[in-house]
Amino acid sequence: MQKILIIEDDELISNELKNLLNNNNYEGVILKDFKNALREIKELKPDLILLDINIPYMNGEMLLKNLRETSNIPVIMVTSRNSDIDEALSITYGADDYITKPYNPNILLLRIGAVLKRLNNGTDTLIFKDLTINISKGIIKKDNLEIILTKNEMIIFSYLVNHQNKIVTRDELMTTLWNNEEFINDNALTVNVSRLRAKLKEIGYEDAIDTRKGMGYILS
Amino acid sequence: MKFKEYLKDKFYAIILTFLSVGIIYLIFKAFRIKTDIIFIGIIIFLICNFFILSIDYFRKKRFYSDFLSNIEELDKSYLVLETLDFPEFYEGKILYQALYEINKSYLENVNKINNSRRSFKEYVEMWIHEVKIPLASLVLTINNHQTEINPKIKSQIKRLEDYVDQVLYYVRSENAEKDYLIKKVDLGSIIKNIGLKNMDDLLENHIEFIVDKINTFVLSDSKWLEFVLGQIINNAIKYKRNIKNSYIKISVNEDKTKVVLTIEDNGIGIKESDIKQVFEKSFTGENGRVRSKSTGMGLYIAKNMCNKLGHKISLESIVNKYTKVYITFAKNDFYEIAK
Repeated sequence: MQKILIIEDDELISNELKNLLNNNNYEGVILKDFKNALREIKELKPDLILLDINIPYMNGEMLLKNLRETSNIPVIMVTSRNSDIDEALSITYGADDYITKPYNPNILLLRIGAVLKRLNNGTDTLIFKDLTINISKGIIKKDNLEIILTKNEMIIFSYLVNHQNKIVTRDELMTTLWNNEEFINDNALTVNVSRLRAKLKEIGYEDAIDTRKGMGYILS
Repeated sequence: MKFKEYLKDKFYAIILTFLSVGIIYLIFKAFRIKTDIIFIGIIIFLICNFFILSIDYFRKKRFYSDFLSNIEELDKSYLVLETLDFPEFYEGKILYQALYEINKSYLENVNKINNSRRSFKEYVEMWIHEVKIPLASLVLTINNHQTEINPKIKSQIKRLEDYVDQVLYYVRSENAEKDYLIKKVDLGSIIKNIGLKNMDDLLENHIEFIVDKINTFVLSDSKWLEFVLGQIINNAIKYKRNIKNSYIKISVNEDKTKVVLTIEDNGIGIKESDIKQVFEKSFTGENGRVRSKSTGMGLYIAKNMCNKLGHKISLESIVNKYTKVYITFAKNDFYEIAK
């Protein structure tokens, strides 16, 4: 499980952020000692840092600048300062992404996923049970069988595969699709999911996508 | 400064001079002084008087002519004193001193107002950053407790966010200081962000969000542009018609000199008599009256921001058919933006 360090002085936000991360297959940890932030970061060895600009002792930009002298840990700046000037400054100091408060939690998760994926050189293939999924080609392989998914179906399926063991809400799927510039409506999502189910049926995974009423879908 | 006007002004002095010439003549005559000598005296007297007037005229003329023409030429005429030499004649000194004092008190006043404006702006910006923290924690909490919390709260929080942003950008756009950063901006990703931000509203209102494939870059400030487009999308959602196939279509047209972004909706449209005024401050028009929730500020701020960024924003509409908003970006026109 990937460890994400939350550097944020508002307790309520950092706790909720930790819950959000833990619910989404990450290990969220909260930085406690702002005075010795750099040392704590080095001890915790996180895979990614969510860094607020307004933090005690040293502001986030300075902390980032100091951190970059010795470390390449990916950093996403999270701040209520909504201006291109602040964003440009953060990026020059070495931030990997910049997101403004209040953010849509689903989008924050997508951004985190994107930064981590970029660092792992974005593996293009996923494995689910005995299925090999090639995302960019839109192909699912099982032994000699092959099915071809449309772009939307693939976005939905790969999201489900990446979020196994948890209920994926329609809202999350919708956000992912829109984030990929597929601005579809509710009906289209339903249609896409049922087409995806039909295609999975062809290779013997008839009940792979389970509907949890009023909540969403889960891969089983 | 004209000599004729100057002489008019000295009318009484001149009359008195001639009067005294007459009296001198009569008195000298009474003492039986030779007429020749009287005339010589009178001529010397007149010549002296003429020189006194001329010297006085030219001293003043130098000062006042500079004064008047500089006022006209300066685009900030209150700086005129800086361009003038200190006058040598008494009235000029009084005028100069008085203007200096007036100027000083006026500038102090302006500075006071500017400072209070600036500190108010800083306070508002700080306040907005502060208020976004509880908003952020609300959004997160709701997301983590989705099953227990009424989803309507989410849309209300989005409304709050929108209003807060409106204040932020109002303050930024009204301010003389440059609060934006012009750089190459990916229109596609801006539209994606706008879509994501308004996704819930669009889905809830059953409005199709139709976007052409956009691979265009423009020179702008991404945050400012996002806000401007957000206002337009908000209006399109607010003023939709109750029909089945409501949509918002976004497309880009590009030629050698410009990029035009078109946002089209098939909502209730805008009355022809209202169109001219939609970008004016506090204008709500018929739509604003018929459907509440209108502050009349959104498009005004949007227009103001576009002006600062060097974009052109315009609009056409037919009632109950469509509204099309065009934003025109000049290509590589740094000079336009610099203004």
